[in-house]
Amino acid sequence: MSSDKAIINISTWDGTITSTDFYVAASNFAEQWNNLDLGFPHWSWINCPKGPLFAASKVEGYLSLENMILPGSTEEDRNHCGLAGIEDLSCANEDVYTDTAILVQKHSQERHHYDFHVVYSSSFRVPVLYFRAYCSDGEPLAIEDLEKEFPAYTTQELAISKWTFITQEEHPYLNRPWYTLHPCGTGDWMKLLFSNEPSVVSQGGVAVEKYLIPWFSVICPIFGLKIPLKLFVNASNKSENVSYVT
Amino acid sequence: MASDSRKVIVHLRATGDAPILKQAKFKIAGTDKFIKVIDFLRRQLHRETLFVYVNSAFSPNPDELVIDLYNNFGFDGKLVVNYACSMAWG
Repeated sequence: MSSDKAIINISTWDGTITSTDFYVAASNFAEQWNNLDLGFPHWSWINCPKGPLFAASKVEGYLSLENMILPGSTEEDRNHCGLAGIEDLSCANEDVYTDTAILVQKHSQERHHYDFHVVYSSSFRVPVLYFRAYCSDGEPLAIEDLEKEFPAYTTQELAISKWTFITQEEHPYLNRPWYTLHPCGTGDWMKLLFSNEPSVVSQGGVAVEKYLIPWFSVICPIFGLKIPLKLFVNASNKSENVSYVT
Repeated sequence: MASDSRKVIVHLRATGDAPILKQAKFKIAGTDKFIKVIDFLRRQLHRETLFVYVNSAFSPNPDELVIDLYNNFGFDGKLVVNYACSMAWG
């Protein structure tokens, strides 16, 4: 539907994008995020050729942000983190030995690190978030551990749509189990998000390169992640620079 | 401090097949969090899952303060909040 760069007619759009569009949007998103200096790690594009067998897919890579420490997780849920650490240790104790030095360390404020990858799904034709979380010592965290530090609305959503929200799947490029957010609704809510956007209303078209910032606005609350609003304000004002060719 | 305690006019606008509310405009303290608007909608519509967003292609974090959203996305003296009954996840 959309050929090279550009604009999609909102009235016929189903909220999805092509793999080429994804690359354009990903570059724009990373550029804006990184330029604004939001106090978070930067996004970068990871080139990941899959070999000649997968030549059909134009996007050879994904967008990556690693080692994000969620601001809320250290303050509000300190107790949970501490408990999780102690439980893990008690298991280890039974089997091997007691190391009081480690025990003390675990008592102190435990920080959870998150890796986020945005991968294009050619079946749903939308970006999909893959993530994993781990303690400072590299120990991976299961979804049960994460639930304790997710905001209440995420836990609620998990209870309502247990198998259609967050599940563990194979990372398409790394072939390891990562958690992922289900993409079946993404196209629908992306269309909704753009349908009242002032520049879209006045121009009748969606600027493809602006796709990922609204997308991420839906993603980050899941993790209790509050991004400075200037990222989103900036995105909606930036339409001035885009040439519309509907 | 005076600006913090300011009331914000929120205009709720149905999209898609979401039912229209009898009272679509109301005032809310700027110091309230956006979750209050979402909870109000949930109660009015008797729906657990809603998709809520403002006009600039942005779905606010429920923890954002209403006054911050108004200052960034408000227009014409009010903050327009769109809602749809579609489920975001499955």
